[in-house]
Amino acid sequence: MMKRAIMLGGIFIGGLVQLFLPSWSAFGGAKPPVLAAFVLYYALRLSWRDMWIAVFWAALLHDGLDLGPFGPALLAFPILGILAYRIRSEIFVDGTVTHMIFGALGAMMATFAALLIYAVSGQRPFHLGYALLRLVGSGLLGMVTLPLVSLTMNMLEAVLPKRRGYGWQ
Amino acid sequence: MLLVVAFVLPSSLSLRGKSAVRGIVAPAERGTSGFGQRLSEATSAIRGMGGAVEKSRELSHELVRIQAELNKLSDVENENLRLRRALEFRQQQPRPMIPCDVVSRNISGWWSSVRIGKGRVDGIRKNHAVISPDGLVGKTIEVSKRTAEVLLLCDPACRVSARIEGANIFGLVRGGGVNFQGHPVARMDFIDKDTKVQAGDEVVTSGLSGEGGVSPKGVHIGYIVKVHLDDSGLFQYAEIAPSATVSLLDYVFVVSETTEEVAP
Repeated sequence: MMKRAIMLGGIFIGGLVQLFLPSWSAFGGAKPPVLAAFVLYYALRLSWRDMWIAVFWAALLHDGLDLGPFGPALLAFPILGILAYRIRSEIFVDGTVTHMIFGALGAMMATFAALLIYAVSGQRPFHLGYALLRLVGSGLLGMVTLPLVSLTMNMLEAVLPKRRGYGWQ
Repeated sequence: MLLVVAFVLPSSLSLRGKSAVRGIVAPAERGTSGFGQRLSEATSAIRGMGGAVEKSRELSHELVRIQAELNKLSDVENENLRLRRALEFRQQQPRPMIPCDVVSRNISGWWSSVRIGKGRVDGIRKNHAVISPDGLVGKTIEVSKRTAEVLLLCDPACRVSARIEGANIFGLVRGGGVNFQGHPVARMDFIDKDTKVQAGDEVVTSGLSGEGGVSPKGVHIGYIVKVHLDDSGLFQYAEIAPSATVSLLDYVFVVSETTEEVAP
C-alpha cells in the first residue's frame, strides 16, 4: 500500500516537474520526458497490476494537463509499459546503460505516438525535418531522464522506513 | 479499449475530464510556482552575497549583510516597478481586464501555451484575448473552473486578425513556433500584394474576432521583419517579431467581456 502511494505521489511530482521544466528549442521543443520515465521505471519493477496503475495515472496526468484531446500518452504509455514489462526478465533491470537505452527508446516512442496522432488529426503542422529533430531530441533527453528518475526513486525508496518482517508473516 | 473510449469522447466530456485533472493539480501548481518565485528571489540574494564575499577581504560582514539586504530591496523594487507598470497598463485600457498570474507551461512541449491561475469562476471564457504591457500574448483556449490555458501567439494554431498601424492594410497573423534561439516567430498572411508594407511597420490587432471571442482593437502585436510574396502570387506575407513573451513568473491580463471591473 505504502509503495503504491509512493508510486502515485512520485508520478504526480514527476508531472509537476515536467510542467515546470522548459522545452528545448534546439531539440524541436522537446521536454525531458519525466512521466514516460516513471512509467518505464515502474514497468521494469512492479507487478502487472501496479504497472497498469502507474501507466493509467501517468497518462491521465499527461493528457489531462496537455492541450487537445486525450490520446497521445494514452496510446504511448501502455505500449511502453507492456514492452518493458515483457522483456524485463531478459535484461539487467538496474543497469545505467539499460536505463539510457530504455529512456531513449521510450521517449522516442512517446514522441512518435504523439506525432502520429497530431499528424492524422491535423492539430499540429507536420514537417519531416522538425519531426526528426523532435524524435532525436526527445531520445537524447529520455536517455538522461530515465537514469535520473531511477536514481532519485531508488534513493527515496532506500531512505523510507520499511515494514518489519517477522519471518512467520 | 481505453484508447478507443478516449478518442471517441465528445469534446465537452473530454474537457470535463481535463478540468478534473487540472483541478487536482492546480493547488500544487500554484504552490510550486510561488516556491519558484521565492527561490528566484533567494538565488539573486545569494548571488549578491557571493559577489560581496569576493570583496570581503576588505569589507566587513556588515557590508555583506547590507548588500544582501540591498539586493533583496532591489528585487522588491523591480517587482514593484513591474506591478506598477501592469497597474498603469490596466488603468489605461478601456475594457475591463482580469489580471492573472502564469502558473505553469505546457507539459508536452507540443503546444506553445501557458496556464494561468484563473478560470471560469473568475469570469474567463474561451477565445478571449490575453495581453501584457508589451502587447498581445495570445488567447484563452481551454477554460476549466480555476485555471485556463492560453495559446500563445507564436503557436501555429493561434490566428489573430491584424492590421498595419496607421494604414488600412489588413491580414491574418498566425504563429510560426519558436526558432532555434528560442525566440517566438509569427507571420502575417493575406496582405494585399498592391499595398506597400516594409520592415519596421507596426502590426496591431484589428479588433475582428470569430468564434464568439473578445479581441480588443489596436493592441500591439509586433514589428514586421521581412516581407515576401506568397506562392500564389496573389498576396504578400510578412515575418513578424512578436513583442510580448511570457515567462513563468509573469502577469498577464485577460480581456473581459463584462462591463464590470473584476477585482484583482
